[in-house]
Amino acid sequence: MSLTPLERAARRLIAALDAAAARVYGWAWNPFHQMGTVAVLMLLVLLATGLYLLLFYRLGAPAESVARIAADPWLGGWVRSLHRYATDLFVIAAALHALRLFAQARSWGPRSLAWVSGLFTLFIGLVCAWTGFVMAWDTFGARLAIEGARLLDILPVFSEPLGRIFSGDGAVPTAFFFVNLFIHIVVPLGLGAGLWLHVSRVERPVLLPPRGLAWAMVGALVVASVVLPASLGPAANPFALPATTPTDLLVAWWLPLSERVTPGVSWGVVGAASLLAVLVPWFTSRPRTGSWTPSTVDPRLCTGCNQCPQDCPWGAITMVARDDDRPTLVARVDPALCVSCGICAGSCAPMGVGPRGLTGRDQLFDIRSRILPAFTPAPAIVAVCCAQAPAAHVAALRARGAHVHAVPCVGNLHSSAIEMFVRSGAPGVIVYGCPPRDCVGREGPKWLRERMFNDREAELQPRVDRDRVAIATSAPGDLAGVLAAYEAFATRTVALARPAAEGDVEVDVECEPVPYEEAAP
Amino acid sequence: MSGHRAATRLAVSGAATAAALVLLARASAAPVPWHAGDVARLRLSWSARPERIEVCRTRSAEEIAKMPEHMRQRTECEGRFASYALRVTVDGQVAGEAEVRGAGLRHDRPIYLLREFPMPAGAHRVRVSFTRRETTDDDAAAFAPVAAAEADTGLYAGRADREAAEHARRARAAVPPRLGLDTTLTFAPRGVALVTFDAVARRLEVRTGPAASPGTP
Ligand code: SF4
Ligand code: SF4
Repeated sequence: MSLTPLERAARRLIAALDAAAARVYGWAWNPFHQMGTVAVLMLLVLLATGLYLLLFYRLGAPAESVARIAADPWLGGWVRSLHRYATDLFVIAAALHALRLFAQARSWGPRSLAWVSGLFTLFIGLVCAWTGFVMAWDTFGARLAIEGARLLDILPVFSEPLGRIFSGDGAVPTAFFFVNLFIHIVVPLGLGAGLWLHVSRVERPVLLPPRGLAWAMVGALVVASVVLPASLGPAANPFALPATTPTDLLVAWWLPLSERVTPGVSWGVVGAASLLAVLVPWFTSRPRTGSWTPSTVDPRLCTGCNQCPQDCPWGAITMVARDDDRPTLVARVDPALCVSCGICAGSCAPMGVGPRGLTGRDQLFDIRSRILPAFTPAPAIVAVCCAQAPAAHVAALRARGAHVHAVPCVGNLHSSAIEMFVRSGAPGVIVYGCPPRDCVGREGPKWLRERMFNDREAELQPRVDRDRVAIATSAPGDLAGVLAAYEAFATRTVALARPAAEGDVEVDVECEPVPYEEAAP
Repeated sequence: MSGHRAATRLAVSGAATAAALVLLARASAAPVPWHAGDVARLRLSWSARPERIEVCRTRSAEEIAKMPEHMRQRTECEGRFASYALRVTVDGQVAGEAEVRGAGLRHDRPIYLLREFPMPAGAHRVRVSFTRRETTDDDAAAFAPVAAAEADTGLYAGRADREAAEHARRARAAVPPRLGLDTTLTFAPRGVALVTFDAVARRLEVRTGPAASPGTP
């Protein structure tokens, strides 16, 4: 997969984060793989804690009511802190989620809608956070309100400068706090809409982290809320100029910068940055050729089994009527929805679907013509690695004598390819997928396991000795785990009788092979 | 994983989580500088209606007689809204000068004024003047009822008086042609002195403390 220099830099950054987290927590508990779902989890925490806080908030006495909540040692204090920390974690999670997708070149084409709606959701989250801080009406809340008024006052919208509300010339009207609260409560409805759009193009969206990790994160935040309660500044006073404010840098890191420049400059920077972010799908789009070619269906091979529409993680395949006299439906790929992950190729027993160069037939052709000749003099264990696997893992496997076979996603690997390796004399095939929540194909490791061990179409044939097949995970920072899995597998295969190579192996497929060139519509 | 390694990993992950949470808590409420040093501030903030400067003439009895009965205003006025010159001096130095007009495209909406002047803490002689820029002899507040050529009767009885009262009310609601403040103010470090327009007393006044309000407890 070709990456731009910026994508490569982003990839190095997330690989370093992943590696650090994998070393500390183990890859299965690496929260950086879960950032999209962590953001949703934080929204749920915000909803629950926000509803509680709302019960005690008083529009007529915002600062006192929040101070009272914060001083409540039983519930209010830590619930308020949890609300605050969940906001921070939402922002971090959403930003890291976007960075990961950018680094993995998943920000363009059919994913553009998810990118833009994700940005929209983050923007709405920031507006909510802004109004939430203003609700507390401490010095930080007032600072945000004053800067907000300064920015809005240059727009030709309000005839009365909003800044006058906070000037001390009269009380800050309750109506202001009402409108602020209204925005704080109504805007999250936009979050729901943004989230719905965000996942609208994927099948089986995963919205929450694994249960254990979710509880661990919420538990850790609760502990932090009790032990390190979020500080609340003194109540806002228009007649005092505080030296500092307890500022939430995750939400308002821009505030001291914005205060130093004119509102026009602030708007200009925000506008340019927003435009750049929204145009990322355009900047990063690639021609749909080579590894980005959309999947196609060979209608002559398609038996109408309806498996590929079920496995496609992006809902790009539908079954339609045939235009010949066969009594079945035929699969059809919508190229506008296809992200070229190749997972459909692994799902099709007759090998009739997949992006060009990645169909089951292409895989078998490649193995027979390019890889099997390299098996001489003695076949080695084949380590099938995802193209996303860290180079250090691939090198270490090679150093141990494994024959490394790269695939764009393990979900693309056709079971017949595994069978061909084994029947060609390989002692075994170990397939290294990415951590399941970090699969660029979304569902590669899941479908691989189902096809290898649970008879999901296109299943690994029963004649293949399952002792010669293993699935492992190659997660950045977990070289030890990769090698341990390899050593265990190698030990296991040594104990098995040496398989006999079957010469020019023909792997059964349900239909006659048809050369791709002829099959292509 | 051996028991020892598992315990080590648990300890390391616990420590890393604790460190991350401390970082989160710190970043969540970092003391970011706002107003540096011993700065104080003079703030001018008020809203007031600009005067309407009108040229009025009294309609003749014939003109009035031609009008429908409910539209028989004695006086016909044309005009525009006044603009004001704001001048602020601190210790004899001009701190700010501006032309101020009512809001809106036609400047017919109230004047909303908000200006801030940073200054060192301590005592300062502050002069603020807010003066109508247009000179006119027409003093709207002195509008006097015009004797009707023909007395209004029935529903319209007393209309001339009501017209005059309305004119006077509008004049009173407007900011006076000349407002001034000349005083010595002692600014506390990080303190704010607010100069505002008291619409009841119709003069500028100084405040240095919050009014009781929902927002400023
Ligand atoms: S999996 Fe293959 S045979 Fe089945 S519907 Fe898809 S293209 Fe047709
Ligand atoms: S390559 Fe296949 S599975 Fe992947 S999005 Fe395209 S049609 Fe769906």
